[in-house]
Amino acid sequence: MINLQQVSKLYRTDRVETTALDNINLEIGKGEFISIMGPSGCGKSTLLNLIGLLDEPSSGSVALDGKAIDRYGDRDLSRVRNERIGFVFQQFHLVSDLSVVDNVEIPLLYRRMSNGERRRAALAALDRVGLSSRIHHFPTQLSGGQQQRVAIARAIVGRPGILLADEPTGNLDSQMGDEIMGILEDLNANEKTTIVMVTHDPRLAEKTHRTIRLFDGRQVQ
Amino acid sequence: MIKNYLKIALKVLGRRKFFTFISLFGISVTLLVLLVATALLDHVFSAQTPEVHADRMLGVYQLTMRGPDDSENSHPGYGFLDRYVRPMAKLPNVERVALVTETRTVVSYLNGRKIQSAMRRADGEFWRVLAFDFVEGEPFTVADNEGGRFVAVISETARERFFGGSPAVGQTIEADGQRFRVVGVVRDVPVLRYASAADLWVPITTAKTSAYKEEWLGAFTALILARNSADLPQIKAEFQSRLRDAEHHLPDPKTFTTLIAGADTLPEGAARIFLPGEQVANPGGRMRAALLALMLGFMLLPTINLVNINLSRILDRASEIGVRRAFGASARTLVGQFLIENLVLTLIGAAIGLVLAAGVLRAFNVSGILPNTHLQLNLRIFADGLGIAVFFGLFSGVYPAWRMSKLHPVEALRGRSA
Amino acid sequence: MTRHLLKLVWNRKRSNALMILEICVSFLVVFGVATLGLFFLDNYRRPLGYQWQSTWNVAIGMGRSDAEPSGDSTAQQATLARLLREVRSLGPVVAAAGSWVLPFEQGGWSSRYQFKGRSLDMDADRATVGFDQAMGLDLVAGRWFEEADAALVEEPIVINRTLARAVYGAEDPVGKRFADERPGERPFRVVGVISDFRKKGELMPNGNFIFHFASMDHPEGKPPRNLLIRVRPGTTVAFEEALVKRMQAVAPEWSFEVRPLAQVRATSFRFLLTPLIVAGTLAFFLLLMVGLGLIGVLWQNLLQRTREIGLRRAAGASRVAVHRQVLLEQLVLTSLGVLLGTLLVVQIPVLDLIGVLSNRVFASGLLFAMITMYLISILCALYPSSLASRVQPAEALRYE
Repeated sequence: MINLQQVSKLYRTDRVETTALDNINLEIGKGEFISIMGPSGCGKSTLLNLIGLLDEPSSGSVALDGKAIDRYGDRDLSRVRNERIGFVFQQFHLVSDLSVVDNVEIPLLYRRMSNGERRRAALAALDRVGLSSRIHHFPTQLSGGQQQRVAIARAIVGRPGILLADEPTGNLDSQMGDEIMGILEDLNANEKTTIVMVTHDPRLAEKTHRTIRLFDGRQVQ
Repeated sequence: MIKNYLKIALKVLGRRKFFTFISLFGISVTLLVLLVATALLDHVFSAQTPEVHADRMLGVYQLTMRGPDDSENSHPGYGFLDRYVRPMAKLPNVERVALVTETRTVVSYLNGRKIQSAMRRADGEFWRVLAFDFVEGEPFTVADNEGGRFVAVISETARERFFGGSPAVGQTIEADGQRFRVVGVVRDVPVLRYASAADLWVPITTAKTSAYKEEWLGAFTALILARNSADLPQIKAEFQSRLRDAEHHLPDPKTFTTLIAGADTLPEGAARIFLPGEQVANPGGRMRAALLALMLGFMLLPTINLVNINLSRILDRASEIGVRRAFGASARTLVGQFLIENLVLTLIGAAIGLVLAAGVLRAFNVSGILPNTHLQLNLRIFADGLGIAVFFGLFSGVYPAWRMSKLHPVEALRGRSA
Repeated sequence: MTRHLLKLVWNRKRSNALMILEICVSFLVVFGVATLGLFFLDNYRRPLGYQWQSTWNVAIGMGRSDAEPSGDSTAQQATLARLLREVRSLGPVVAAAGSWVLPFEQGGWSSRYQFKGRSLDMDADRATVGFDQAMGLDLVAGRWFEEADAALVEEPIVINRTLARAVYGAEDPVGKRFADERPGERPFRVVGVISDFRKKGELMPNGNFIFHFASMDHPEGKPPRNLLIRVRPGTTVAFEEALVKRMQAVAPEWSFEVRPLAQVRATSFRFLLTPLIVAGTLAFFLLLMVGLGLIGVLWQNLLQRTREIGLRRAAGASRVAVHRQVLLEQLVLTSLGVLLGTLLVVQIPVLDLIGVLSNRVFASGLLFAMITMYLISILCALYPSSLASRVQPAEALRYE
């Protein structure tokens, strides 16, 4: 489904050139639940951004369903992100000036649909993560676990085939973390959602189908 | 401490150049406009040639006659002033009283050219109440006026028009069908000096008819020169009591029963002439109120703009403020620092505004929009400008500073999350 | 999307309030200046009703003020009649007449009369025989005054078309009585209708106008203080000098000031337009100031919302969508400010605060101010929004 071939990523500043990723080859199949592990600064997030089409590789190619995306323009990339990919972040990244349900609706704003459909889809997604009772709250009024569940609802509201989660439990205590992990496993099992998750936690990584380990931008093992 | 504050302020301003630029632009343009307006007001009302004694001079510029149905408002007439105001010269605290008409445009024809001049008719005392700059000859005298002699004092501009700038004393000019012998030439008086400016001054008695002598309403002004500026309130009161007395001798008591007038300083006189409403109880106060309202009205938009920019500047530094507060800076210190920073900014803006104002005034003087008007910046205006700038700086800083002091250290540190 | 943005703007109302206020006040400033300008422009495009190009005004100083009861008006009237005869006999003079009021001057004389209980306000003048020719009036019905009119039982009047329509509708006014009876006064009868006489000049609106007859035989009150003299085109200042000499010979006690109406008109224009020019210049600088301020504030706001923008990009917003969203958000803000301003401004017609303002001028002023504010807003948002659209989502969302 997603295919990375000889992907490298360099960051250039005025003086130094840092290699974030070095010659990564990766094949992610439909319905897989993959975890990415490695120490801080090893390029995990960079890899996730490349998979999520948020960033372009310095060399190598990223293909989605066999189609290389390096010739896609911004508009096409955005459409693909909107329809196929959902993101969950460690810091949740909820818009503090919007209520829970308005936050969840965000991805649907960039699609053609009526306000009513949007609202229904958002409510369904919130129901899916068990937050139906909090739809008019603002993010600051929720606990960390609840915020992350809102973020997951936002990620799945557009029914994307792929969910990318960057340390989704990193800011949560273990009980809340398990809750979030439960939701992800459920999505993978019942909705056949492909999930790529960056994590520090070996306990969580064990629960996934496969783990990719990075060290200094290289894939180990 | 203050020096340290100043240093920080300058550093902060240098860091965000675009914000500093737009703030300075707003401040300097606002100050520019206010300074030009102040220069204009200063020009009209301050003690300058020929009104060097403006601080102890009063004028009767307007008279309203009112009855049950009718009301007439105009300059006072000679008859009224001669009977009720001129005798005030005998009061111990009054030095002298002069009568002079409003300007009237008179036409002269010279070798197929048409010359339009502003003419006033004045008595001999006029030249002693006001101090004109004579470049040639001397004023006409009380005796000239009483003797009905056809003599004239002309302005430099009039000399230029009539004689091409060559010496004029002893020469004759023709104006409004009458011929006058020039006895003096004075430096030009700016047109905004509404009590004195003209091109030609001739004796009152040279008027074509003597009908003016009976008038209550007419085209005259009385200028009263006190011995001391402290005597002004007393003289004003004396004028009012004479006005009450005059009400018993009105020429047409059926139509008119009440007189309204005042012995006014220059700003009060201008207020009485220009502000609407015939009965002005306290023209000076109303003038000040009107000017203040105008100034605040004009400053409304620049102030909102500056407050808005200031708020942005503060929010930009929310995390810096958070760090400072976390390390124990009190809200008061931070607010103080911000206010000083804003004040420094305003003063720099004011300095730029001052330079711009000097340029605009120079351009204005050269343009000749107002003849003979030479607007200048002086220490008085500079002080006014400084006052306005400080007011502006504090005013636009207060609300942002308040918002800043309310900024919660923890939230500030975290920044506003996405 | 609009609903979403409305919510966003509403929820951020505290930080947006000042910007809305700023836009509202700027809107009011633009509206004020634009309405004044449009008011003049609207008036300027209507016909004036008379010709000023080759008419001169002679202002007569009679050595007495208007306020004094006039004892010798009969003598003055006789002198004036002699003066008019003398002036009309001169070669370059086409026509000459006397008038109480002077075209293009802003002061004046107005009256109010009752019509079956309804009252009408009108500007008024009292003019002599020949005024129609001296001013090049355009008679659309009836005739101008004649010297014989003084003998009529009823006082003759000439009115303009606006007044004729207001009083008589579609009927022909000539020969009809005018106004309800006034006890102890001669009744009015209309002898002629002119197209218009916009006494205050092109820049001021046309209203009702009534001419009374200034007869030389039967002095009624005070004699006219203005002569209006139509001269042949190309008459020079040499004739002006001769004219004044002749008048001075007839009336040595009087003063004469000759001014072409073109000069009176120029002075009047300057008087009316100077405030507009000053206000316009100030408004321009104020708007420039506001515009720069908006750019700065918007920029700053977006800088703070980098992460939100990054998130939207990740959620599938294209660059164009982000660009459009920022502009749309600014449009929502502007609309709120403009709405607030409009609510304030419509109090003017609702409470009838400024009587002379026609609905058309008012509406155009409103429209002009709206368009200006939207243009300024969009223009100021363009740069910050293009910066926002260039936000790199990967960087914006990076863990800090």
